[in-house]
Amino acid sequence: MRSDGLIKLIILTVVMIMLYGQDTVVLAEDRIDCLICHKYRGLSRVDEQGNFRLFYINNDLFMNSPHRRNECYECHTDIKEIPHDKVDKVDCTQQCHIVEPSGDRYFSHKTIAETLAKSAHGKLDADGNPKPHQEDYPGCKDCHDQPLYRPLSAFKGEAKHGVSMRSISRCKSCHESGNFAKDFYEHVTSRLHKTRFSLEITEVCAKCHQDPEFMKRHELDDVITTYKHTFHGKMLEMGSERTADCIDCHVVEGENNHLIESKDVVTSSIHKDNVGRTCMASDCHTNASPNLAGFQTHVTYDREKYPLQFYMLVFFKALMALVMYFFLALIFFELMRRLFPKFAFFKDNTPHHFADLGEQDQQDKEDKS
Amino acid sequence: MVKRIKKIIFKVYVVCLMTFTVWYGYFMYPLIFGFEGKEAAGLSLEKAVFSGSKEEKIFQQMAAEKVKERKKTDLGYRLIDQPYIQGRFHHIGFTLQQDKANICMRCHGNAPHTESKEIRAFLNMHSFYLACEACHSVPGDGEPPWQFRWYDKNTGKLSGNPRAILEIEDSYKQLQTNTENPVYGDYGLKISPVTTESGKASLLHNEKDMAMVEEYIAERDQLSADEKTERNNAIHRKMSESPVACKACHRGEEPYLPLADLGYPPTRLGELINSPIVAMLRKYDEFHMPDMMKPAQEREK
Repeated sequence: MRSDGLIKLIILTVVMIMLYGQDTVVLAEDRIDCLICHKYRGLSRVDEQGNFRLFYINNDLFMNSPHRRNECYECHTDIKEIPHDKVDKVDCTQQCHIVEPSGDRYFSHKTIAETLAKSAHGKLDADGNPKPHQEDYPGCKDCHDQPLYRPLSAFKGEAKHGVSMRSISRCKSCHESGNFAKDFYEHVTSRLHKTRFSLEITEVCAKCHQDPEFMKRHELDDVITTYKHTFHGKMLEMGSERTADCIDCHVVEGENNHLIESKDVVTSSIHKDNVGRTCMASDCHTNASPNLAGFQTHVTYDREKYPLQFYMLVFFKALMALVMYFFLALIFFELMRRLFPKFAFFKDNTPHHFADLGEQDQQDKEDKS
Repeated sequence: MVKRIKKIIFKVYVVCLMTFTVWYGYFMYPLIFGFEGKEAAGLSLEKAVFSGSKEEKIFQQMAAEKVKERKKTDLGYRLIDQPYIQGRFHHIGFTLQQDKANICMRCHGNAPHTESKEIRAFLNMHSFYLACEACHSVPGDGEPPWQFRWYDKNTGKLSGNPRAILEIEDSYKQLQTNTENPVYGDYGLKISPVTTESGKASLLHNEKDMAMVEEYIAERDQLSADEKTERNNAIHRKMSESPVACKACHRGEEPYLPLADLGYPPTRLGELINSPIVAMLRKYDEFHMPDMMKPAQEREK
């Protein structure tokens, strides 16, 4: 089956070479020339469901991703001819041609899918039965778009973003051939920190965890809004990369990032017996007491779920408003009296009427007399 | 006199203080009552004291939903700000600019070709930098050929040839040294036929046509079938039954669109004539001729 596809692709490549004119330009890393068509920015259509589909591939950005060593057909395996028909969804768990260096075997994302299946995001429950609302459980593309390298440079002083050509030049002293040095440099330094900025991670989680319908279906709190209320959330919004995002708290330190477990699971990082240790992780509050985790992080203003917190909120909001607007109204009417010292809804001609007026009004009275 | 001035100054001072007090109350309002999760809390409180109508609930739910249209990817040394298309894996890396000036787009959208499966994506690609009228409106018999100009997608104003088009030529030269793709079509401009009156060039469809379309869109639900046909005919009066064929432009001699005059540099022109896509189109002539403008019955034949 595999060799059959390969033969077709060889034939396809030969045909494309024959079709090629003299004035055309060969683009690097696109050996079967998918970019002949997919380089055009407006290549698009509206599908049968009314969704806008854009078929443009930004080669510049693609070449900045770990998938740059893959050919298009290695993921889009059902494309056997050009022009091709509607393509199937990519199966990320299929084996690709790249040899995974640590194990000397062909690379696949299958193990990640298996880990995900064991997590709270897996489609089956602990007994192997399908969970309700199957369509809500995420596949790879629901959380991931094309990953992009975020290389670090630490040649002198502090680490900064971007490639250090000096470092690469040192690697290239021995590893001369091809892009080996650059590929490894970018891959490894991107993995020395988060490959996605923490704010983007919270945005990914928010796609579901801030969707009102989704939260309602799964009886979940608005954890994104409540996270934003925390110190971590504020730090993140101010651009810090050192503060904890969703994954930092919801994955056990050293564990696969895809293994996010429910707080009821005993091995979970947020289980009541483990959450203290999670806060004390090596890059976080190492010297903190377990009591640091003793507060309710994701309390929402839900009257039915958290009535005490809800009515406390209502009480303090009302108290604050009452005090503030009472005194503002008092000041306003006091100033009004200064402006119209003799104004009264009901005339009172008794002498004490002017007794409490200010100095200015007394002066006016004297002037008049 | 001095006393009077003092009195006026005092009154102005008091009025200013009163204004400040009111402003301060207004300023403090969102700080007291505005907080994230307010919609949910409000709904919860409303549920406790007042059920509200179904329509009100739907409206509140709609207001709470946030539509995310852009996505930012921060690489530390580079920020990629791009439109968000749900379900898309590959990065776009540029802004898909809507054509607000073309009257056809108001109903047919920015990707109007849906019929011809083999080439609809290619035709939509052309819609990215060609106005519909460029292909779907040809001069009548005896009329002089159209003149073509670039126009701004946002404002509809006629423009000179885009400077960015020259970058294509530069990017071809750079291709030997890096892997970047040549820049195609992202000029913020489109090519459209123009008419010239008293020496002043204007788009084939002008503001009056746009007003006609807007009026039709606003009223179409109340129009009878005959009235709709009548209005549609009026709106489409400048459109041709058959569009310009692909090979009319993708040829070396006297192309329908004067691409060189529109600023296309030599290498890009060569590619437009000799590109593999054009070769494919020549080879597979059966899907070469779009027939979307023909009635459905005729297409079925």
